[in-house]
Amino acid sequence: MAKKIGVYICTGCSIGEALDIPALSNVATKEKKVPLCKENPFLCGRQGAEMIKLDIAAEGLETVVIAACSPRINYDVFDFGPSTIVERVNLREQVVWTHPADDEDTQAMAEDYLRMGITKANQSELPVPYQAENMVKSILVVGGGLAGLTAAREAALAGYQVVLVEKESSLGGFVGRMYKSAPSRPPYTELEETPMAQLLAEVAVSPLIEVHTGTTIAKIAGGPCLYDVTLQKDGQESSLRIGSIVMATGARPYDAAKLGHLGYGRYANVITGTALEDMAREGKILRPADGKAVQNAVFVLCAGSRDPEHLPYCSSSCCVESLKQALYVKERSPEANVYVIFKDVRTLGRYEEFYKKVQSEGVIFIKGEVTGISEDGSKNLSVEFADLLLGEAASAEEVDLVVLATGMVSNTVDYGAESGTEECAAGNVPTVQQPMLNLAYRQGPELPSLVYGFPDSHFICFPYETRRTGIYAAGSVRAPMDLVSSMEDATGAALKAIQCVELTSRGAAVHPRVGDMSYPEFAMQRCTQCKRCTEECPFGAINEDEKANPLPNPTRCRRCGVCMGACPERIISFKNYSVPMIGNMIKAIEVPEEDEEKPRIVVFACENDAYPALDMAGLNHLGYNAWVRVISVRCLGSMNLVWVADSLSKGIDGILLLGCKHGDDYQCHFIKGSELAETRLSKVSETLNRLQLESDRVRMVQLSIMDYDKVPGILDDFAEKLVEIGPNPYKGF
Amino acid sequence: MADANASPGRLKYDAGFAREVYGLENGSYLKQCMQCGVCAVSCATFKIMDYSPRRLFALIRAGRKEQAMKSNTMWMCTSCLMCKARCPRGIPIIDVMHDLKGLALKQGYVNYPQAALYEAFWKDLACRGKVFTGGVIKNYVLKRGLNNLPKIIGQQKDVGLKMLSHGRLPLLPPKAPKGKKQLMQMVKRAQELEQKGAK
Repeated sequence: MAKKIGVYICTGCSIGEALDIPALSNVATKEKKVPLCKENPFLCGRQGAEMIKLDIAAEGLETVVIAACSPRINYDVFDFGPSTIVERVNLREQVVWTHPADDEDTQAMAEDYLRMGITKANQSELPVPYQAENMVKSILVVGGGLAGLTAAREAALAGYQVVLVEKESSLGGFVGRMYKSAPSRPPYTELEETPMAQLLAEVAVSPLIEVHTGTTIAKIAGGPCLYDVTLQKDGQESSLRIGSIVMATGARPYDAAKLGHLGYGRYANVITGTALEDMAREGKILRPADGKAVQNAVFVLCAGSRDPEHLPYCSSSCCVESLKQALYVKERSPEANVYVIFKDVRTLGRYEEFYKKVQSEGVIFIKGEVTGISEDGSKNLSVEFADLLLGEAASAEEVDLVVLATGMVSNTVDYGAESGTEECAAGNVPTVQQPMLNLAYRQGPELPSLVYGFPDSHFICFPYETRRTGIYAAGSVRAPMDLVSSMEDATGAALKAIQCVELTSRGAAVHPRVGDMSYPEFAMQRCTQCKRCTEECPFGAINEDEKANPLPNPTRCRRCGVCMGACPERIISFKNYSVPMIGNMIKAIEVPEEDEEKPRIVVFACENDAYPALDMAGLNHLGYNAWVRVISVRCLGSMNLVWVADSLSKGIDGILLLGCKHGDDYQCHFIKGSELAETRLSKVSETLNRLQLESDRVRMVQLSIMDYDKVPGILDDFAEKLVEIGPNPYKGF
Repeated sequence: MADANASPGRLKYDAGFAREVYGLENGSYLKQCMQCGVCAVSCATFKIMDYSPRRLFALIRAGRKEQAMKSNTMWMCTSCLMCKARCPRGIPIIDVMHDLKGLALKQGYVNYPQAALYEAFWKDLACRGKVFTGGVIKNYVLKRGLNNLPKIIGQQKDVGLKMLSHGRLPLLPPKAPKGKKQLMQMVKRAQELEQKGAK
């Protein structure tokens, strides 16, 4: 044994009372021949940690194995600097808190975990941070609207070089064309100047911000800190190196031309909110048809929104925008009759105060559905609608202006299907991606999108993330939002971009394995060009050359290990996480003879949700089956099928995979890891049946962190099934 | 709910009547109504009203003056304050109801017995400074018309006799209160102010 390992067993938190500690240290010293094994009643206390530090200095330990509590806690206490590998053996949550004290099975479990931990520690190497030449920390902001300018300003204020690219000839975007904005400050009732003028002024004077207007992006190659961006302006190309990217390309109003049923395009006095905004900015709100004054105005909310034929979703800000525009009309002629026909008034948060203010100005709100709009000889409109609160058909006559509140469409997509088609009616409007970033990625040139074409990743937990490392979508390109949320979003994205360049330049991973210094290494001489890794990487980190050789981009990598699980040749490994390492951990488990009637179950648990759920079961002292041996994996997608073979040939009776929920509302931190695991598993079942091994021996269960109460049930149920099947026929070979 | 007096044909929105109501003392609170219906579910007499307060407000904003003014909603309001206490928009609904009653009487929209009793009660109070049940009954009967007297007696006979036997129906008017003159001056002044405010 070349490595110098020290094993420390904590006897606090009732570990000492429940287990036979001398026997446990014998496993380390006698069986595993570890030169140093110590016990301490309070290992996470000052004295305990101090003792380990002294040993590291005196004995020159490279690796310490801490047999105590879960690796999810006290990680700061047991951090002994970057040159010491720390391996944690979870004796507390997953052994003594979930199993009876002074029990043969509990002791066997603790001993197995210690064997596995020492085996893993033996094979772990210190990661060497990935470094490349010319890594930069500048930030590219795509889009010069409210979100883009805010992101640029915030990043510059934090001291980072910013390159701002805008397609149009001037900055400002959608908000730049607004007359006023809805209230954002107490008392939340007065219209305000938009924040645009101030933002533009700040960006103009900032020495750190380089603005390129009238410019598009021809190509983005590389990865975080190493992006080679090619800009295109008037046919001329220029290139620069960039650290990370904030994508703030905004949204545009839904095409009102598709709203013929509301009279748009047929009658000149039916206009969109955007057109009204233009009129207000120019100072005159008049009937477009004949320039006469507006005495009766009707605002139609949800025009083409929350409508399966058009946009099925709510754009969240059109209500407030329309309230604001209703005030524009009232400001100019207080005697005008203004009606707002709504489905629901969604004025969230403090906007409720604004809603009250608009009501108190005499604007009349009608919950209704517009059924038809017609025009008389003098271009007066008549709006017919079903009044849902009076339950009658109603109408507004002699209307001068009808304003349609259209929803938002992310600029990354275009709606492919025309309204009224079958596809639209089914609610899944097909979208066509718009060229914007032009990424030189194997997985395509743009950010993958979730539903409705909004680019996003893991909308439940990590709204700022996208599925392309180092590229952060912000503002209304990501989700429909108002001005305040857009600015907040942009600030967040700027901070994420800064975090990304800082971590990446040190060779560390970004979210969710923040700070992980390891990265996948490929033993290329054995590669068979099967393309599984390039295909399955959820973040598009691996490109391909013409011969289908994988070209890894370590700075794009999030260290989930999905490629390692995918590789049939097992050529991908991390310094501290590899296929043989887990294989040896499985082999370290002592499997009792068949006649002892003590089956063994290996549980591969995702470290993000399933492993914490097991810990939670421990914290709640929920007892479960003592046959299980849990192995934490980075993502269930990193599970290589060879581990199933390893387990079965070792005589393990069953294998349980605990991963995150997948599907449309997936919870996998790495988007589709658990789904991939399930797909791979379905392939292995056939093989098992062929080998006279019941495919029921391998099971996958989706588990979320809240499901900790189900843990005992899941484990016991699986154990029962195994008893029914009988012992593994390969036992004892 | 009785919707018998709903006008036929399509309802045309017209803000004229709403503006008239906004001009009443508490009328402008009506603008704040967001039609949540908490008043309706809180109302003790909701079941005997033509329209719930929510619906009445919706009718006013839609401009259905006839339908709103002729409804019994405000006359069935017992001023229990439950709606006012619960309204999330803080509308003093019973005060709005009082204003609407005033408007309906002033413009001669109603001929309800409840409305007659309101007037009879006030008339007696305003001339006596105190309420005398006999005086109220007299005013009420005159208000409803003498030809209705047999009907009223028939309806109220049992209640009247019971009240009499409990000593709740004094036969002689009470003594005038102290400072009746000043009280009358106050009432007069208040009415003058109201007249002025209405202009």
